[in-house]
Amino acid sequence: MDLDSLFSCFASTSCVITQTTSGFIIGMLLFLVAVGLTLIFGILKVVNFSHGVFYMIGAYLALTVYQTTGSFPLALLAGGFGAALVGLAIERAFMSRIYGANPLMQILVCYALILIFDDLARLIWGGDFRSMGMPDVFQVPPVFIFGGVAPPYYIFVIAVAAAIAIVLALVIARTRFGKIVRAAAHNPAMVSALGINTVAIYALVFAAGCLLAGLAGALAAPVRTVSPGMGFSILIESFIVTVIGGMGSIAGALVGALLIGMLRTFGALGFPLFNEGLMYIFMVMVLVIRPSGLFGKEAA
Amino acid sequence: MTAALEIRDLQKSFGGVRATNNVSLTFEAGSLAAVIGPNGAGKSTFFNLISGALRPDYGTVRVEGRDIVGLSRAEIVKLGIARAFQVASLFSTFTVGDSLLAAVTSGLDQSERMLSRFPPPQASSRAEEVADMLGLTSKWRTKSSTLSHGDQKLLDIAIALVREPRVLLLDEPTAGMGPDERWRMIEKVREMWTRQKITVVFIEHDMDIVFAVAPRICVLCYGEIIADGTPDEIRANARVIEAYLGTPNAEAPP
Amino acid sequence: MRALSFSRALALAAIVLGLLFALLSTTANHALMDFVIRLASLAIFATSLNLLAGYGGMVSFGHGMFYGFGAYFFALTMQRAGVSIPVAIVASILGSALLAAIVGVICVRLKEIYFSFVTLAFQMLIHATILAAMPLTGGDQGLRGGVPRPPFLGLNLSNQKQLCMFSAFLLIVCLFAMHHVVSSPFGATLRMTRDNADRAAYLGIAVDRVRLKAFIIAAVFASIGGLLQALFVSGAYPDFAYWTVSGEGIFVIMLGGTTTFLGPLLGSVLMLLLNDFVSRFTEYHGLALGSVILVVALGLRKGVGDFVVDWLSARSEADASERTKTTEAAS
Ligand SMILES: Nc1ncnc2c1ncn2[C@@H]1O[C@H](COP(=O)(O)OP(=O)(O)OP(=O)(O)O)[C@@H](O)[C@H]1O
Ligand SMILES: [Mg+2]
Repeated sequence: MDLDSLFSCFASTSCVITQTTSGFIIGMLLFLVAVGLTLIFGILKVVNFSHGVFYMIGAYLALTVYQTTGSFPLALLAGGFGAALVGLAIERAFMSRIYGANPLMQILVCYALILIFDDLARLIWGGDFRSMGMPDVFQVPPVFIFGGVAPPYYIFVIAVAAAIAIVLALVIARTRFGKIVRAAAHNPAMVSALGINTVAIYALVFAAGCLLAGLAGALAAPVRTVSPGMGFSILIESFIVTVIGGMGSIAGALVGALLIGMLRTFGALGFPLFNEGLMYIFMVMVLVIRPSGLFGKEAA
Repeated sequence: MTAALEIRDLQKSFGGVRATNNVSLTFEAGSLAAVIGPNGAGKSTFFNLISGALRPDYGTVRVEGRDIVGLSRAEIVKLGIARAFQVASLFSTFTVGDSLLAAVTSGLDQSERMLSRFPPPQASSRAEEVADMLGLTSKWRTKSSTLSHGDQKLLDIAIALVREPRVLLLDEPTAGMGPDERWRMIEKVREMWTRQKITVVFIEHDMDIVFAVAPRICVLCYGEIIADGTPDEIRANARVIEAYLGTPNAEAPP
Repeated sequence: MRALSFSRALALAAIVLGLLFALLSTTANHALMDFVIRLASLAIFATSLNLLAGYGGMVSFGHGMFYGFGAYFFALTMQRAGVSIPVAIVASILGSALLAAIVGVICVRLKEIYFSFVTLAFQMLIHATILAAMPLTGGDQGLRGGVPRPPFLGLNLSNQKQLCMFSAFLLIVCLFAMHHVVSSPFGATLRMTRDNADRAAYLGIAVDRVRLKAFIIAAVFASIGGLLQALFVSGAYPDFAYWTVSGEGIFVIMLGGTTTFLGPLLGSVLMLLLNDFVSRFTEYHGLALGSVILVVALGLRKGVGDFVVDWLSARSEADASERTKTTEAAS
């Protein structure tokens, strides 16, 4: 434990700013993964334990595309849409068969998918840790805000994720598609009775979730190491985010993700060895006090 | 002597809906009574409040003089209240026999024993007695989930009855049955009531059945008790006629 | 499938042990001995998971935490405390019961899939703790230096033959104990809470307490599976506490079938054979195993043991209707 460095950080604006930006980038990446998880759960009523796979696919695709073309925007698109396409195929081939199945079956199928895709990644990209490197555009000196360091890439990621959060909220709240999706979450039988194709809705929602996870992976590629097991650790963190925020709630995913992001960066100062543990303790506290999460409606 | 069940000023709202409004009723030990009322009148809610599934906003429920508001479902069961459900609530992988044996066992303070074997020998006589009384003996080895609808409702009642409750609440025992089956069902309920000498309160939609079987009828409408009395009193009650048939003079059929 | 009577099961177990002993005294086949030890470890773990998931309806995706915990706790006790093996076993049982009580209090209130992933999160916490507690556990290198195996009661577990017999014996003892639990009044109560927790509460059953007890019992047996593994490899590694252990457990009980008590044992045999087979042909173990799982899970939709049970009950029903027909014809 190193509470002194935590307190001395709180005493200086620059340190707080630096830590907060890092907290934000962790939180925003986490949000992109968690929001897909929570959407898929809210509407399809399955917990996609293999969601981390799409984050990994996004990262690897972005890495490959960036290294072959040198274009970062292209890499982002490849990561996002590549993951969405794979997701769509998986939804059609496997996930669609386990809607409404018992949890045992759902977990089993996801477990198999994780095993398969982790190995596929190893087969295609090799087993070692890879890194993509910072794209040239962002290789500029960091911005200083009140003496705190904010690398331009961090600001870019935070802006992209925030934009996605806003678009997502608008789509769900304002559009006809959003209305249908909300109705399908509430009463799927009613929606299909109205002649709306729920099969297509489900596939779209699943693919959208994968797109967000893939995009998160692509955005993470420049700042994290890319490796076959990378999907699972982000999966656990996003689960914790959804437990804290409440399953099925987008606002909950955002707040939960940011809380975890901050907990990780500030926790790293105060509890360098038990940083990960803090996250679990926080989750347990939320579960004990509010079992359905901060924004969850029904009791878990 | 204290009443088996005494309810005072019971109130419960869901958001804006007053599902139970100022209900006060007393049921004497060993009595049989029916609760009737239109759909959504608050009948199931009334049972939920008594059996501890819901907590009333206001009011008291006394079982043989003891206030049970705020007690857990388990504690309320121990005081002698049991219920059956509008939609049969069963243990789907259990056979009829095992359901009853397990239900008896749960009352023997043995339900969490790990070193003896299920079923405990003391359980079988009561389980068999109840199966016999409700005509389920021939289905003893049948899985609950494969029973016919009527037998599922019977098993639901049997599971409640097996624990020897002093007050038994039956939520629409004849729900979803054809006319003949209804009568057979209600006959069984009445026979069970006579033999067990317990207090039985049942909810029923079929007026013919209610008037033929229940010595006392309580009418619930929009969460309120609008009438309470013998079949004759109820038949003559203007508010009841209004509730069921609209305005008494204008629309009553000749 | 009608359950075997207790005395018959006991006789059967004695015969199996006797045969194994006879076999081992004629040939010292190391592959066979390894198989038996690994089977004992996996089958105890899988059966305990089935007690929780199959009988209790609590599909834990973190059951492996107790397997890993058992392995580490046992190995550490042996290394540091210098006690005899039975004492260390009892200590591990108590330790895992305590851990399960703490984790269980938080988890058993949660419904279905929430339960699954909160248990998974706890598993990852245990895993992370093992990695972080470097001085104690050796971190990602695992606990090395060997687990001492001092002889006790004339048994020397560093002799592989004796370890094999001991494992088989422990497996049988654990199976009997768990079978006792599921066929006791508690077992019936547990199944009631699985089928219809609400109705069980209306019968006066304290649902969460029953679930917590089952959680602790299952954890204790899982830890026994883990400590057997630690005895086998003479060490403990973070992989023992990794989430894949839980995933594998779920596959094993699914493969063998969740509706019979011995399904997970059958599943464990199949799983080990499958593992050995797969690793002989490819280094892409996950790819092969994952594909098999998908085929089994989505193709068969139930375990091999469930098929056997269905087939047997269909046959006995056919027999019964045959018999009634003949009696009708006779009268
Ligand atoms: N848990 C609940 N939450 C919100 N509203 C509820 C709840 N339970 C009942 N209600 C409402 O309370 C009112 C009374 O419902 P209740 O089920 O008690 O009626 P009922 O008389 O049993 O009807 P029925 O004859 O259809 O069984 C209804 O308007 C219902 O929608
Ligand atoms: Mg009702």
